Amino acid sequence: MTTSAETAFSIWPEGVEWRRLSPRLFWLELIRQLGSLLVVAVVAGGAWLIWHGTWPLIIGTVAGLGGLVRIAFLPRSISAWGYADDLLVRHGRLVHRLSIVPYGRMQFVDVTAGPLERGLGLATVQLHTAAAASDAKIPGLTPAEAARLRDRLAALGEAKAEGL
Amino acid sequence: MTPSPPSPPEPSPTEPSSVDPSSVDGGGPVPGEPLPAAGEPVRRLHPLTPILRSLSMIALAIAAVSWQGFRQLGPVRFGQGIALGLVLLIIYSAISWRMTGYQVGARELRIHEGLLWRRTRAIPLERLQAVEVVRPVLARMFGLAQVRLEVVGGSSTEAPLSYLTAAEAQALRDRLLAMSRGEAHRPGSVEPDRTGPDGTRPTGTELPAPVGESERPLHRVANRDLLVSQLLNPQWWALVLGVGGPVVYFLMNTDMSTIGILSLLTALVGAAQVPINMIGNVWNFRVGTGPDGLRIHRGLLEKRSQTVPVGRIQALAVRWPLLWRGQGWVRIQSQVAGLSAQEGNNQLKGGVLLPVGDIPTARMLAAEVLPGFDLTSVTVLPVPARAAWLAPFSHRVLGYTLTGVAFATRRGLLTRELVIVPYARMQSVRVRQGPVQRMLRLATVYADTAGGGLTPVAEHRDVIEARALAAELADRSRAARRTPAASPIHHPM
Repeated sequence: MTTSAETAFSIWPEGVEWRRLSPRLFWLELIRQLGSLLVVAVVAGGAWLIWHGTWPLIIGTVAGLGGLVRIAFLPRSISAWGYADDLLVRHGRLVHRLSIVPYGRMQFVDVTAGPLERGLGLATVQLHTAAAASDAKIPGLTPAEAARLRDRLAALGEAKAEGL
Repeated sequence: MTPSPPSPPEPSPTEPSSVDPSSVDGGGPVPGEPLPAAGEPVRRLHPLTPILRSLSMIALAIAAVSWQGFRQLGPVRFGQGIALGLVLLIIYSAISWRMTGYQVGARELRIHEGLLWRRTRAIPLERLQAVEVVRPVLARMFGLAQVRLEVVGGSSTEAPLSYLTAAEAQALRDRLLAMSRGEAHRPGSVEPDRTGPDGTRPTGTELPAPVGESERPLHRVANRDLLVSQLLNPQWWALVLGVGGPVVYFLMNTDMSTIGILSLLTALVGAAQVPINMIGNVWNFRVGTGPDGLRIHRGLLEKRSQTVPVGRIQALAVRWPLLWRGQGWVRIQSQVAGLSAQEGNNQLKGGVLLPVGDIPTARMLAAEVLPGFDLTSVTVLPVPARAAWLAPFSHRVLGYTLTGVAFATRRGLLTRELVIVPYARMQSVRVRQGPVQRMLRLATVYADTAGGGLTPVAEHRDVIEARALAAELADRSRAARRTPAASPIHHPM
């Protein structure tokens, strides 16, 4: 997925087996993006019906184009997500982000699945530490993988449970 | 304000008398033998509480009515209104006082309160981050004090217990801290050295010992330095505007009536209040250390004495404002989870470890909080020259260092800031690389801390260095948790 030159100068640690997200996440994100596009269209259309100005159309078009660009980059942004069992999470295509949570610091693990996610057979795992800034969120996992990850994290957490 | 020693020489923790409030300061629980959950009676706050609370509330009401209202109502109606309000407030406060009580349980402090909606709040003492005894002016006249507990997760101060007698407040503070510490050291673990500086050790008492008297003073900030340092703070200069504004307005409107002059005076007092409060907050600033942690005493009118267990301090920031460099002064902010440590309005409130001081003092205090950390020996690694594209001025300042116990980063052109986090207190490590940084092969490394106000950020590092730094930080952070020596005082939550 990445060329060797990119790897040499990237922030991703070397020698890590990144686990990837389910490809179904694309459909989930697509539905979410289309949903927000719909909201933009309804709001802009409604504003146009009420005030008959051109501004609602211009703003609506710009917002809509932004949404389309985001949809176009969805596959790339999803393929940038990755996680490893030692609590490493990477994401971001334009802005690269890497989170490392040392085991003892994890306070609790959340597994969430909204109605859309459940429909597609997906779940999200989020690690929480005492610091609000830590963002280690892994979307687009199959429920079985999410449960496995949660149990593994919980086991790691218990083995090294510590305070703040 | 030296804490008075607990009164009874032979404390009887098992049979607290239910009447005498001074028996709160019993010897505390014997390790391994927790107190029965409901063994302690529910205690009331001091009977003067309703009156004091009403008085401070009525002051707010008067301020809200203002001089304009006073003119419209006339002095008689105004006086009647205040008297009526005061009576109602006192009745309300008296009922609410009747319904409020606190109870020290085996591992928690329970607070019962609420008039219509009864609420019992249990505060687990393992989660206790800091305890503060506050003595506002009015309460001080009656020898009363307020106890405030800081707990993780609470956005504001949990459970201010107001008011107790000063001795009772100190005894409760010592007792709660002793209980929270007793939890931290399980039976069989090595008890840390709590010998005083003079070699004395409280004898004849079970652990945890009464701790009130063995405080060792570390530093006292000269009030003259406080004043000068605040005058060098640009925030003070806003005072000129705050005072000048109303005066100019007054001169332009030439409203020479009594009410007009009174309004002007009120506005002036309001404007002057901000800097006076800022100085008043840190007046007579003293830091000491006791067996239960750092003791910080401060305040001109409202005296506060805060106790923070050293292990509860998550991060430190040493700041060196531009205008202080002539004197070689710095200030130190500490971050305790649950207390705000943000620069800004609160800068002289929560978490001030040193409002102003010279480098040797700062070094001594930093070493007190982080044993093994030497502030003066810190030399930061500079960023690559190409970081100048992203930080044209501050790239000379940016840098980080890995000391034996802590990760420290420097930033800030005008107010230089060194943020220090011990490895044992880092919660997670993050690396971030924006598009421009990628073109320049730079990346930024963050070490997140609990509370989040102070986050060391190593900005614009070479990407390979950043990768190595993140891995190193994660490793050291894990290792610091494994070896207790790296975190000498360690409190599970």
